[in-house]
Amino acid sequence: MRLVSSVALSLPLQGGGLGRFVDPFVQFVIDVVNMEAVLLQLLVFGLLLGGVYALTALGLTMIFGVMDVINFAHGAFLVVGMYTVWLASTTVGLSPFLGIPLAAVVLFVLGVVVHVLTVEPIIEAPQQNQLIATLGVLFIVQSGIEILFSPDPQQVSLSLGSIELGGVFVPRGQLYALLIALGTMLAVRALLNRTDLGRRIRGTANNREGARYVGINVPRINYLTFGIGAALAGIAGGSIALFQRFDPFTGETYLINAFVIVILGGLGSFPGAFVGGLIIGLIQVFGGYYLPGTTAQVLIFLLFIGTLLVKPEGLFGGAGA
Amino acid sequence: MGKTTKSPFSSQRRRFIKAAGATALTLGLAGCASDDADSGGESTPSESGGGDTTGESTQTEGTTTGSSQSSVDEVVIGSNHPLSGSLAATGVGMSNAIKLAAMRKNEEGGIESLGGAQVKVIEGDNQGAQELGGQVSEELLSEGAHVLTGCYSSPVTTAATQVAERQGVPFVISIAAADNILEGRGFDYIYRPQPPARRLASDYADLVPTVIRDNGGTVETAGLFYINNSYGQAIRDSLREFLPQQNVEIVAETALEFGASNANTQVSRLRSADPDTVIATTYVNGGVLLAQAMQDQSYRPSYLSACASATFTDDRSVRDIGDFANGVMDNNYALNPTIDKTAEVRSQFTDNYDQEFSASVGMAYTAGEVIIQAIENAASVDPDDINGALKELRYEDHISAMGPISFNDTGENENALAPVNQVQDLSVKVVYPQEYAEAQPQL
Repeated sequence: MRLVSSVALSLPLQGGGLGRFVDPFVQFVIDVVNMEAVLLQLLVFGLLLGGVYALTALGLTMIFGVMDVINFAHGAFLVVGMYTVWLASTTVGLSPFLGIPLAAVVLFVLGVVVHVLTVEPIIEAPQQNQLIATLGVLFIVQSGIEILFSPDPQQVSLSLGSIELGGVFVPRGQLYALLIALGTMLAVRALLNRTDLGRRIRGTANNREGARYVGINVPRINYLTFGIGAALAGIAGGSIALFQRFDPFTGETYLINAFVIVILGGLGSFPGAFVGGLIIGLIQVFGGYYLPGTTAQVLIFLLFIGTLLVKPEGLFGGAGA
Repeated sequence: MGKTTKSPFSSQRRRFIKAAGATALTLGLAGCASDDADSGGESTPSESGGGDTTGESTQTEGTTTGSSQSSVDEVVIGSNHPLSGSLAATGVGMSNAIKLAAMRKNEEGGIESLGGAQVKVIEGDNQGAQELGGQVSEELLSEGAHVLTGCYSSPVTTAATQVAERQGVPFVISIAAADNILEGRGFDYIYRPQPPARRLASDYADLVPTVIRDNGGTVETAGLFYINNSYGQAIRDSLREFLPQQNVEIVAETALEFGASNANTQVSRLRSADPDTVIATTYVNGGVLLAQAMQDQSYRPSYLSACASATFTDDRSVRDIGDFANGVMDNNYALNPTIDKTAEVRSQFTDNYDQEFSASVGMAYTAGEVIIQAIENAASVDPDDINGALKELRYEDHISAMGPISFNDTGENENALAPVNQVQDLSVKVVYPQEYAEAQPQL
């Protein structure tokens, strides 16, 4: 039963003055009071989108957490993951779901190679050098994919449809991506917390000099970490390919979002990446529904700036992964 | 990663974040600028059969002779298009279309009034980045271009045309819809064969409701789904003005951010408003996302339509969307299907470049022919002579579905038209107005 009348918000952009920004929030409150069904739909969409964003941020936050390297090639790694799944699907008929672990393997190898060739030689140099080097890798990989496969968009031939639950639609492709994000996060947590390799990675993350003193092979940890981070990008890219067309430049958009998420959630924090992804996803979805135009993006960047000012270490900065 | 003690690098972290943020912002802004391709243009690539889209030279190839017509054996068109980056698929196709126009003219014996001078096309890659628009124009001119064309993206075109105007060199826009490229800038050397945003929207309001009503349908309400940049906003603003004049009330507006991964939220909003028609103004990818989200939510308005959107005039995207695309009407510039020349050029293009000949590519081809005809009429490669010929031009032998191309005082094509296309059996067909129609509307 509708408890409160709706304000006239069908055309928020046509409103003038302060009302165009205030009215959407009033409408949101009214919808909450009325328990409008659309809220549940938006919540589902927000969680699905946030899950995908979180997945794209995991590899980035891991590499920074351990190596203090901001990996701009992450966007390119995502795209390589997408193309790996697509290529395996179209050439040898491999199921896209099986293509995702293949993408992880391909990206692990690519990550190690990129690390050995570009990051390791300058690992002790000022950090902006590594940033520029990985930015160069981003451009090289993007251009390479463009040359190999043309700039045309590609898509995996997969029609997953959606599930309807009480009037709420759940697109299967994004649902699977969310589940993959959750599974991946749990798997990496297990790797870090329950294996010897994980302990060495965490030790290196905590104190690189100290790790050397206790006999940890830090260079080896570096390339393994970079490889795992790239593999996570491969999983993310492969998952995105389940539900979205992509081209050689699709990774750039996700890269920008991933940086916002990582800094919002806390550099190096897996839970931070996940929560940050969900926050960004929910703001985008609810903001996209209620706010005029794409004002939601303004909110996201205000939140980003606010985080840097008030809690620069991020929401989960300093917390355990 | 659970840092319990500070990393030795942590003192640099803030500086690091600043650097990353600045670089990310730069990438983001570049993306915003580069993604602002226009009307019927698209930000995400759309066509080609996976051919050698990057195999063509992406840089200039040399210069030509001086401007004296008696000694001219080559005239040079500078093609300023995105040959790399997210606009490259269509940009490469458009540049190839300019080259095809030149090739066809050369096969006919070259510029007759210049004693058979050959037409040469030199290419510059603006990467879809606004900051490169003017720079590429400068480079093309310094390398001998007598006339310029481009740029597919409105912001890039804004910058590129500024350079051409300043240097007094004619510039024929291949694709760029924003009204303010020509509006209020007092240009004397810039020309646009395609309809600008305002005309695209007014043609939608004039034509699409008419088609629906003439075929027994009812359209009283509309929901706008648009890409939130200058192109989408320009169309939206004009639709707000023109639709009420046709007794169509806008009951919902929802914007798509460029680079969005889905359109779920926007479709939820449209579902809530439940308009008679949803009007999409997006690049190729935006329309694909719209169709996907509508299918995911089992929603389709009575009439799914588009205004100046590339998705539903792009054969490949239509195939990617599948049956859901059937029936969608999109008013946009179009190829004229009623003349043999269109099929001939299309065939020649696909044979030479292994790409599909979309409406966007066809519009660029028309721009190429306009330039060549102006040079022919001018019998000179002097920029002012070519400019004079463009002002006097009346070009009828083109393949676009519009009347003879002739420019008014502001450089706009007086006979520009955006006909109604409809997807039928996964093929894009012109259905209105009747003089260009190859099929009847199916509602």
